[in-house]
Amino acid sequence: MNRKILINEQDIPREWYNIQADLPNPLPPPLNPETGEPITPDMLAPILPMNLIEQEVSTERWIKIPDEVLDRLLMWRPSPLYRAYSLEKFLQTPARIYYKNEGVSPAGSHKPNTALAQAYYNKVAGVKRLTTETGAGQWGSALAFACNQFDLELKIYMVRVSYNQKPYRRIMMETWGGKCVPSPSPDTNAGRKFLEQSADHPGSLGIAISEAIEDAVTSQNTKYSLGSVLNHVLMHQTIIGLEAEKQLKMVGDYPDVVIGCAGGGSNFAGISFPFIRDKIHGKNVRVVASEPTSCPTLTKGPYVYDFGDTAQMTPLLPMYSIGHEFVPAPIHAGGLRYHGMAPLVSRLCMDGLIEARSYNQLETFGAGITFARTEGFIPAPETNHAIACVIEEAKKAKEEGREKVILMSWSGHGIIDLPSYDAYMSGKLEDYAMPDEEIQKLIRDLKRCK
Amino acid sequence: MDIYCSQLGMMTQLTYCLSMNEGLPCRNVIGCWEARIDIMALLKGAFTEEELRKCFSGLPKSRLDRIMEILRAIDKEK
Repeated sequence: MNRKILINEQDIPREWYNIQADLPNPLPPPLNPETGEPITPDMLAPILPMNLIEQEVSTERWIKIPDEVLDRLLMWRPSPLYRAYSLEKFLQTPARIYYKNEGVSPAGSHKPNTALAQAYYNKVAGVKRLTTETGAGQWGSALAFACNQFDLELKIYMVRVSYNQKPYRRIMMETWGGKCVPSPSPDTNAGRKFLEQSADHPGSLGIAISEAIEDAVTSQNTKYSLGSVLNHVLMHQTIIGLEAEKQLKMVGDYPDVVIGCAGGGSNFAGISFPFIRDKIHGKNVRVVASEPTSCPTLTKGPYVYDFGDTAQMTPLLPMYSIGHEFVPAPIHAGGLRYHGMAPLVSRLCMDGLIEARSYNQLETFGAGITFARTEGFIPAPETNHAIACVIEEAKKAKEEGREKVILMSWSGHGIIDLPSYDAYMSGKLEDYAMPDEEIQKLIRDLKRCK
Repeated sequence: MDIYCSQLGMMTQLTYCLSMNEGLPCRNVIGCWEARIDIMALLKGAFTEEELRKCFSGLPKSRLDRIMEILRAIDKEK
């Protein structure tokens, strides 16, 4: 049997799947936090072109992929589906493990699937220039590639600390013609405010978002683009799962469990939504979102201080105290307000259509190393969350003596993330009993800086 | 001390996590560090109750909430 399962270019899916058409409980409109009124499409018009806003609210099940987008996707799509024979052998599992390799795109991750679509729709809407923010640089580099393909200008606000420490991502963006600046920058009111406080302010993703949006709203023919969370972004990624369905069919398999890492939800949506459609229509398939324990959005609520005054929201998970005043907020508090997760993924979790698991960074880097030493490819750190979950499922299959079929999205390669592997392998990520004197010194330093 | 920050996609240091939010900690600092150090002692020692409340009260904003908030602020500045 082949390691790689490939479909021909002419068999690439020609439509995206829009899960909003099949949701058992439709997604309620997002609410304006100030007024409590629904956010209407026109409120997004300052930052998004109308054709993407229409996709955002569409409930059509299938949406045609424009030929111009398909033509660019064919640069690397259909992406290969691999049978992970070496990992299976290492784990001595009866499970059949498949992974969809999205690391073969020009930017090295799944992100170009939506970047190309967004660049195209902006182009046909007459937009000349896009802005965005990037933390790790993965989204910024994907959008730089896409804007280059559709002859759009792009300005990327990259969190300064990342800009300084990840030069290769910046160089990728610039190679494709994107203009990448460290955020906070002197180019926006938001950026200048922080630079006045400190000329070498390290920045944060929040500041970079503010700068990118301000630039889009105050510049001519400019819109904003983001790589996760929104409905249309998730829909553009469904080509991953639609291809995987065809590829598995070629070898006569269908997954018992589909696994994807879930940060903002786009990669997870890409691999899983087509299979969730089957599940909604009666198929027996489990779908698991794998997230970091450090920033959980599906498995645990965020920590809040002195939560008593806002406890009118009904907790659906038991709360427990950490310290005296800190408690993790109830995960279903406020309906769909999972802070970093796509509302569509949150809805599916609440409806019991997906499961969620969390893994700590030591487990995930360990899983990534196991994968690299068996299958060869070095995964991106976020991909490692999915791999940790796959390994857990494969071990369970071994214990149960079951021939389970596991499908995973291998969302990107980690070639530009090697310092984090280095930190793991040199023991820098291990738990550490910080001596009291070190804690006191840190407290003194922090107080001095305030 | 280093940690892998999933928001920045890179290794970062505890001092960044404790000060990146206009001198206040990152909203995720507890989840990221609680398994490794006594983060509660650090927070309570370094920040006042008012600062902790400012940083951790209420639920974090969703991305769409944040976008709407920025748009409103830009509108007000015009």
